[in-house]
Amino acid sequence: MRERVRADLEEVFRAHYPRVVGVAARVLGSRDQAEDVAQEVFLDFGRSSVPAAEAGGWLSVAAAHTALNLLRSGRRRTAREDAVGRQQPAEVPDVADAVVSREEHGRVRAALARLPRKQAVALVLRHSGLSYDEVAAALDLSVGSVGTTVRRAESALRKEMVRDASSD
Amino acid sequence: MRHPTEGVLRRLVDEPVGVPDADRAHVAGCATCLAGLDAARADARAAAAVLPAPDVPVDVDAAWMRLRSAAPAGRTAAPARRRWAPALRGPAAAALGAVVVLSGAGVAAANDWLPIFRTEQVQPVELSEGDLVALPDLSDFGDLEVTGDEEPTSVPDAAAAEERTGLAVPEAGDLPTGVTGDPEYLVVDPLRAVFTFSAEEAAQAADAAGEELPAPPPGLDGSRVQLSAGPAVAAVWRQPSGIPVFAVGRAVAPTAESDGVPFETVRDYLLSLPSLPDDVADQLREFSADARTLPLPVPEGMVTSSTADVDGVPATVLQSRDGVVAGVVWVEDGVLTAVAGAVSADEVLAVARGLR
Repeated sequence: MRERVRADLEEVFRAHYPRVVGVAARVLGSRDQAEDVAQEVFLDFGRSSVPAAEAGGWLSVAAAHTALNLLRSGRRRTAREDAVGRQQPAEVPDVADAVVSREEHGRVRAALARLPRKQAVALVLRHSGLSYDEVAAALDLSVGSVGTTVRRAESALRKEMVRDASSD
Repeated sequence: MRHPTEGVLRRLVDEPVGVPDADRAHVAGCATCLAGLDAARADARAAAAVLPAPDVPVDVDAAWMRLRSAAPAGRTAAPARRRWAPALRGPAAAALGAVVVLSGAGVAAANDWLPIFRTEQVQPVELSEGDLVALPDLSDFGDLEVTGDEEPTSVPDAAAAEERTGLAVPEAGDLPTGVTGDPEYLVVDPLRAVFTFSAEEAAQAADAAGEELPAPPPGLDGSRVQLSAGPAVAAVWRQPSGIPVFAVGRAVAPTAESDGVPFETVRDYLLSLPSLPDDVADQLREFSADARTLPLPVPEGMVTSSTADVDGVPATVLQSRDGVVAGVVWVEDGVLTAVAGAVSADEVLAVARGLR
């Protein structure tokens, strides 16, 4: 059987793995889940013909989308479990965040899931260390609109957090 | 001059060198913009506080080994082993796994020499990752020739898929929440693999491993096993990133024929090879009583399996232990059908039972 894995996979993997995990971890708040997402994203990349020069942006965007998708499927489960009267799912974040309480952790995930997808991805990419130019290239935005998109995401995130907190 | 946009103010917070001098000069002397800048800074800080980075550095070497075991990089020469089990490891992988399984080639190649039975049932076998690595590569024991291309081909619609493969594409009724849009239809043409056992090569492989090769049964040397798989069709729903999130598909289950000694002889001999862990061999022997079972290796500890009923047919339900991905597989009249995705087991079963 032919296993068509691109020859530059290891080089790209070593260069980008920590950042890709970082992107997914910011969405999921769980490093274990983030590493699973990163594995999937690199497997996909290994089978792709994405130019190596665009790998960083492609991988980061794919990680953000995949992680946001997981968040959404997790939220659906949570809703269903709550509906049948179970306790909150015991998903303990393994990202060290002494500041972020568990309740807040849940609110952040919920708020991220409710953001418009492009805003959520831009927010996570910028907070993962991608420059404005890199975010623009990765999301096919003008550089000028990256700031606007991130700003709106942050504003919406804060409002969602406040709204969630007050409705608890 | 006009006030800079809120996007410009945002960039001033963390990438001021990207902001034109004129804008910076304006903001420095404009109370309105300074207030906007303060608000942007506060929101950015609040976001940063709730979007923390992983607390300890990731182990890139360990992660790379894990990826290699799932996608053997550099093994571009054909034929190479290929297994679909590792693809089940990560979240969002069940759909990928389903596509591979549905490709038929996935089933055949994933199990290498295992599917030497006409498949009537799917039975998961729990293997640890170490066992997977330790499974003997067939090419050490003879020649493996593969004809056909296991790479799925995209076709425009279900009708085209059916015309090409002769398989009706299962039509999903109500899709799980969050799975939307039109699927991509993939087909895989029939594949054939012929394995010719070579006592000489097997002896060399055993020698290299410091083992002694058990004497092959009479007639095994040079005897051939022909493995046929596919065709297959699949409908795959993807996210904008291209990652599959849900898949429904169908494949002609793999069959095998031998032109020398009976299958059972080949299987039992391979089972007797010293490189096969005892517990795995024991698990595989359980299938000899029922020659119509396809052992489906799943990574130990990563996936739970259970059984369910899909319209009167026994089905195997696989679910990742974190509950993120699930799949259901069953075989009826020599045709394998699978439904899988980043959804719950209840959801894949609901779709499976609603297929038209």
